Amino acid sequence: MKKQMYLPVAAVLLGIVAAQKTATPIPIGVSVAQTSNTALLGKEQVIGAQIAEEFYNGRGGINGTAFKLFFEDTGGDEAGAINAFQTQINKNRVVAIVGPTLSQQAFAADKIADAAKVPVIGPSNTARGIPQIGDFVARVSAPVAIVAPNSVRAALKINPSMKKAAVFYAQNDAFATSETGTFQETAKAQGLEVVTVQKFQTTDSDFTSQVSAALALKPDLAIVSGLAADGGNLVKQLRIAGYKGVIIGGNGLNTANMFPVCQQYCDGVLIAQAYAPTAPGALNAAFRTVYKNKYRKEPPQFTAQAFTAVQVIVEALRTLDKKSKVADMELADLRIKLNAQILIGKYNTPLGEITFDKEGEVQQKNFYVAQIKMNPDGKTGSFEFLK
Amino acid sequence: MDTFFSTYGFLMVQMMLQALLGLSLYFPMMAGQLSLASPGFYALGGYIAAVISTKVVVTQGMYPFHLLLLEILLGAMASGVLALLVGIPALRLKGIYLALATIAFVEILRVVSLNLDITGGAVGIFGIPQPFANPLSYALLVLPLLILVAWFAARLERSRVGRAFTAIREDELAADAMGINPTYYKVLAFVIGAMVAGGIGAISAHFLNTWNARQGTFDAAINVLAYVLIGGSRTFWGAIVGGFALTALPEILRPLGDLRLIVNGLLLVIGAIYLPQGLIRPAWLAALGKRKVALVQPKGEL
Repeated sequence: MKKQMYLPVAAVLLGIVAAQKTATPIPIGVSVAQTSNTALLGKEQVIGAQIAEEFYNGRGGINGTAFKLFFEDTGGDEAGAINAFQTQINKNRVVAIVGPTLSQQAFAADKIADAAKVPVIGPSNTARGIPQIGDFVARVSAPVAIVAPNSVRAALKINPSMKKAAVFYAQNDAFATSETGTFQETAKAQGLEVVTVQKFQTTDSDFTSQVSAALALKPDLAIVSGLAADGGNLVKQLRIAGYKGVIIGGNGLNTANMFPVCQQYCDGVLIAQAYAPTAPGALNAAFRTVYKNKYRKEPPQFTAQAFTAVQVIVEALRTLDKKSKVADMELADLRIKLNAQILIGKYNTPLGEITFDKEGEVQQKNFYVAQIKMNPDGKTGSFEFLK
Repeated sequence: MDTFFSTYGFLMVQMMLQALLGLSLYFPMMAGQLSLASPGFYALGGYIAAVISTKVVVTQGMYPFHLLLLEILLGAMASGVLALLVGIPALRLKGIYLALATIAFVEILRVVSLNLDITGGAVGIFGIPQPFANPLSYALLVLPLLILVAWFAARLERSRVGRAFTAIREDELAADAMGINPTYYKVLAFVIGAMVAGGIGAISAHFLNTWNARQGTFDAAINVLAYVLIGGSRTFWGAIVGGFALTALPEILRPLGDLRLIVNGLLLVIGAIYLPQGLIRPAWLAALGKRKVALVQPKGEL
């Protein structure tokens, strides 16, 4: 045992790092938040990546060569993300990285991967400017500006006579802040008047002042960007205060965790999403079945996006492998070729058909709008997808 | 070795930066003031650097080093002035009340930065240009800075001002009776700490590539306080060792996977119970110093 350890240690000490061959099974890095409060999202991503690993390795891996996922926790902060990426790049010698969870972390860590010429696929970074970080950065998560407008259009379909919109957002949440900008622009572009913009914090639970200020202006559309607990409470307090119009929720409200908060008042809230469990396609059906058998509920968007990110890397590796065996390629060379291949490929994923533009921005064909339907017990409910 | 430095280069510089941040909290603590304002000044310095390097001076390629020095200077000066304005009223408070007031100060800065356009709201500022080729090269600037600040702290501990700080820490009334002006020295200690934090923030903004309101939060304040408490609050070595140890620990424990934060927390609790005065105590340093003298003396005669 001991003797086996000396060799690599000696090699490291002497600085022998001649051209590195790619390891087998082929290493792919997954660095998302497995700890900190961001782990609520990160855990869903880990599940998606694990399902993809099992699924594709069960179907021959990279044309007969297996691949292995390396999980390195980023925590919730920027420094943690950079440390995790450094470990993936230099220690695990991965061919590509899926991660990190937050856009702010991506702004810090993706730059490190880009400098090291390692392809990165963001599974959930939706802020403006992510693919522009560098040539090696791409994402499968459609930006807010593309997803959010769909729900406003759906609301106008339900009630074409709407005139006034009241907008609410959590000003301490990065996602909610950029999302509300998109909502306001879309509302104006669709001929609605934004009568008020009310701010709150994700830690708030009492929204009396925001609700009464907004309702005094008699809006017929309310748009809420926040997270599950605060957003749920705001929806509930809007309804209790007598608001009868349509409510649109942002992506932060896109979770069943909101149901216990606003209970029967959640009913009817519209939410646009990048993923629908009921979307057609054989791959989505297979993914959904695996998830449902294991966790007894519908797969959430974050899980589907993480699955997609791993899938994109695997399919690009398969295409490369057909030209020349990836296991025989030098690591640095493979990373560069893999990045080029990721960007030109066309992928049939659980999110529907996707491609990338030159910069690495995802081009997704279908988006979905769900309406919350609460069960009579007022505690459980479901997302019903509108056509 | 190559792999080691490319994997842990970032971490090493991060350790030095966190040690400096620990020192920034140590200065007010020298005068007995429990101030948690460091992350506020750290955030301010970072925003100054981020705004200058992305909005005021737009450069191509490597960011000029002299501009970075200018940002550090501006970050430190702005933090110093703000500390003076905040410190004079806030330092009338004592103990836990001062800690609460400084937490409020950090919160105010955070909410202000979330609401301003120039700070990029909640997303923050990204694409901050790099003055160095790789993370490890930051050590060329940060290590000398750490040595400089540590040297300053060492000199301060032995100077008249340092003794005044200690006198106030041990008994403010008695110090006042002996002719030391407590307000003056407390504000001085607070301003020194703020200037260090502001300067470090300016470097960190480049170092992290991005800057946002999450950098200066209550959580960050507690982390920095832990550096000083775990490291030892009676000598500047405590802040440095604490900053090094607590920044490196989660990465050293990385192979443990999901367990690592549990082990990390456990070590902190054990440290707090069995080493209540921290890892480094002045008495130990003194003992170490004597032995060194004993070892050196015979050599001197040769």
